[in-house]
Amino acid sequence: MQSKIILYLFLSVLLFSSCDKVITLPIEDNQSTVVIEANITDKLGPYSVKLSRSIDLNEANIYPAIENGTVVITDNTGIKDTLTYSKGGVYNTKLIKGVYGRTYFLEVTVDGKKYTAQSTMPYKVNLDSLRVNVFPINGKNQYSIIPGFTDPLELGNCYRFIQKINDTLDKNYNIFNDNLNNGKVNQRPLNNGNKDLTIKVLDFVSVEMQCISASANLYYYSLSQQSGAGPGGGTAPTNPPNNISGGALGLFSAHTSQTKVILIPFY
Amino acid sequence: MILIDRKYLLLLALSLIAFTHPVQAQDKTTVNGTVKDKYSGESIMGAVIKIEQLANIVVTSNEYGFFAIALPKGKYDLRISFVGFEEKRVPISLNGPLSISVLLESKNQLAEVVVESKRKDDNLIKAQMGTETLNMKSIAKVPVIFGEKDVLKTIQLLPGVKSAGEGNSGFNVRGGASDQNLILLDEAPVYNASHLLGFFSTFNSDAIKDATLIKGNAPAQYGGRLSSVLDVKMKEGNNKNYIVNGGLGLISSRLSFEGPIQEDKSSFILSGRRTYADIFLKASDKFKDNILYFYDFNAKANYKIDDKNKIYFSGYFGRDELGLGSSFGINWGNKTGTIRWNRVISNKLFLNTSFIYSDYNYDVGLKNGETQFNVNSNIKDVNLKQDYTFYFNPKNTIRFGFNSILHTITPSIFSGTVNNSVNKVGRNGLENAIYVNNNFKANQQLTLDYGFRVSAYTIMGGDVYNLYSGNEKTSSILLQKNAFGKTYLNLEPRITGNYRINDFSSFKLAYARNVQHLHLLSNATASSPSDQWIGDSYNIKPELADQVSVGYSRNFKNNTYELGTELYYKGMQNQLDYKDGTNINTIADVESALLYGIGRAYGFELLAKKKIGKLSGWISYTLSKTERKIEGINGGNWYNAKQDRTHDISIVTIVELNSKWSVSGVFVYNTGNAVTFPTGKYSLGGQTIYQYANRNANRMPTYHRLDFSVTYENLNRKKHESSWNFSLYNVYGRENAYRISFQDDPLDSSKTQIIQTALFRWVPSITYNFKF
Repeated sequence: MQSKIILYLFLSVLLFSSCDKVITLPIEDNQSTVVIEANITDKLGPYSVKLSRSIDLNEANIYPAIENGTVVITDNTGIKDTLTYSKGGVYNTKLIKGVYGRTYFLEVTVDGKKYTAQSTMPYKVNLDSLRVNVFPINGKNQYSIIPGFTDPLELGNCYRFIQKINDTLDKNYNIFNDNLNNGKVNQRPLNNGNKDLTIKVLDFVSVEMQCISASANLYYYSLSQQSGAGPGGGTAPTNPPNNISGGALGLFSAHTSQTKVILIPFY
Repeated sequence: MILIDRKYLLLLALSLIAFTHPVQAQDKTTVNGTVKDKYSGESIMGAVIKIEQLANIVVTSNEYGFFAIALPKGKYDLRISFVGFEEKRVPISLNGPLSISVLLESKNQLAEVVVESKRKDDNLIKAQMGTETLNMKSIAKVPVIFGEKDVLKTIQLLPGVKSAGEGNSGFNVRGGASDQNLILLDEAPVYNASHLLGFFSTFNSDAIKDATLIKGNAPAQYGGRLSSVLDVKMKEGNNKNYIVNGGLGLISSRLSFEGPIQEDKSSFILSGRRTYADIFLKASDKFKDNILYFYDFNAKANYKIDDKNKIYFSGYFGRDELGLGSSFGINWGNKTGTIRWNRVISNKLFLNTSFIYSDYNYDVGLKNGETQFNVNSNIKDVNLKQDYTFYFNPKNTIRFGFNSILHTITPSIFSGTVNNSVNKVGRNGLENAIYVNNNFKANQQLTLDYGFRVSAYTIMGGDVYNLYSGNEKTSSILLQKNAFGKTYLNLEPRITGNYRINDFSSFKLAYARNVQHLHLLSNATASSPSDQWIGDSYNIKPELADQVSVGYSRNFKNNTYELGTELYYKGMQNQLDYKDGTNINTIADVESALLYGIGRAYGFELLAKKKIGKLSGWISYTLSKTERKIEGINGGNWYNAKQDRTHDISIVTIVELNSKWSVSGVFVYNTGNAVTFPTGKYSLGGQTIYQYANRNANRMPTYHRLDFSVTYENLNRKKHESSWNFSLYNVYGRENAYRISFQDDPLDSSKTQIIQTALFRWVPSITYNFKF
């Protein structure tokens, strides 16, 4: 639901005088932590696992790659794959295949410390179409995309949508689950961008639909709830709960992947 | 609902005073009466009645202006006084039971003190601790944002009370959460006391007589929340003349009408208020689809049946509307209604029976192309209360009674093209309480107020209750409709004592246990209308708080200056939070995501007042700490609650320049709220993600602000009265941080930028008030 965002919109209307400025703050020392970004999809391999370390807040966004790690993925059919190091902290699979319903076990060892995770690839829900949703606000048309799919009858399906507007990544997290409208045709639109990136006529919008596990849903939904600090609608953010044991950041996700593109016509 | 035998209650009450002085066999009789304002006929609560011939007898009138004193037969002179009124001397000849009516005439004085005491040295004789009463007439001159005088904003200037945020009417008392305040409007609980996302409170100052805040050591007749009681009373209406009151402001306007139904016997008052920011928005092209307003109505009437019976009806209805054309809308509001019956059963026994209804609901509607849905949530109370005051003898005044509330709580339910996948229904709970409390004036020095409350919450049927152990559902209980489930029974002992050391100082000590059966699941720090309430269940146990406080009060210069200090410690059990990443609006069973823990809060409060003279006001200071420890949050370690602030200072000054002009100022300074800033960052999926360490280990920047206001009054008791109020909020335009957020620098995406959002710099306002 976008209600929170819309509430902020109201606040900003109410308070014509609200003002933003860039400030500096004393930031505590950070504990550099291993970050694991591991994905297996239903597309052809190889799949990759990226190992890096977190950095201090005021450092430039250059994340040190971990080159000396050991990464092993096994699945519940007994296939064991020791990943080979490529570059930039990326390790690639050789044997593992992404199959619906299969469970994958990840084991990462960095400097003698072991991190483990597991993820089961959900069955695929087909992305049938993309539609444009037009709604006028204050006399101006706004556009958002409705991904067309039919949620299966059984409860517990989770989806993540990655939206790109003319190849620029929309940083909103679009995380759906079937706590609402289980077993129905989706009518819910994705976020219509943000103040720096909105959808306009003649834009190409690409949407990747992922059927994700409950643990990935929890991770991404938690991220989507983080919004600054303070009495102005702030939350007390924490590192999103993930499925990796051993204290690493990041996520191991086995998920489906399907992408469609739409051109926004004139209305 | 439970019915309790009156005799049983009386017996219970009497058992409390068994150890006090034996009743003298002397030939005693009783004088009782009511104290009222001569001009408006409004009853006066807290008037002090003394007897010239018996120096040790001091009695105060109750909330209906009623008092009773048992005395040996004889001739006496009563002296009745109340701040702002001329003292009245009433000679009586007591041969048998006597009822009198006392009309007090208000002084034509200007210097009205904002935080008012009933008596100049009232602070030294009352047993109550952590209690302040605000009179609406007197807060008019304190500057507030948008020029709308507001009881909730003014109490935030008292020690131990913290604002939930800039301009916000939500508040935290002694480290409690904002749902731990019992806010009563003519006894009816108000579940969300804010309008416009918290910038206004639901209390229209024209309809309000006074408000009393009790910070955790409330007498036993109050219960149901851990941290405080804010008891707001509506005006009764003038029973002599018809009066129109009103105010025109930049943001909102008010109008009220009051007058007699039967002269001197019964009266009514009607008040309404509406904002009109939406009218300005319509005029602007950019915002013409924005809907943004609230309105509220208060109505009250009283009818005197005979000398012994009086009935009061009061009601409130308020609604907020926010929207964007037809595509988005959110509205919420409270409805309350109270019927009260005052009955003087005998010369010594006063009974008030109340039937109370309260309803809070919110509705979010979204129409976005083909998607069209509404989300509704609702909490409804039906409440029956009987409260007896037994004027046993001049030393003992006993209150006892019961309270039964049927709660109906409906969680967020979707309708339209979006529906909950797992059916959700409302739940019922029955909250019962009996209580007894004795105010015992042992001697000139020592006053004790003690008693207890037994509260019970019974889970009621009509839904499936799941039981969880950690993350795992262990079993389910299907309770048939109207069946009773588990009952939580708690004893809440309360005691406060006041020892008057000498003519100018006193020492106080108090302990209270409070129990709370309704819990607010909040998903933001600011009080947001989409907050959800939940009652006790098989997993959720009643919240408990034990508070101990000690205080020392001292008056200077013939009670011109008053200094009050209090130290408190509060321990809290069964505190609630929910797991990260929970969407409480859509989750099938919110109980599966709850976390439980404990809390502690301690602090020192200081309040220095100057009550009399051309310059009046107060300085309040709070030094405090508030922490929570919840399994599953912050590694199970203690962390600062979001409302934790170390220092809080408020200075309020009012200067009466002459009979027409007065100026006032407010200065507030406080440590920033406890917040969580990231300590580091990493990258995932091409996005920057922040890394966090300990919860709420950081601070928002220090908050400070000065407000200033000028009031011009044209007082003319006979005909019209009018006043102009000019105020400036945030005089030196400090950009106080409302929100701090982190993002990739748009100019250099390899850097992180910290953005501070401030809401208001200068907010000027003009209000014109009239009365005729």
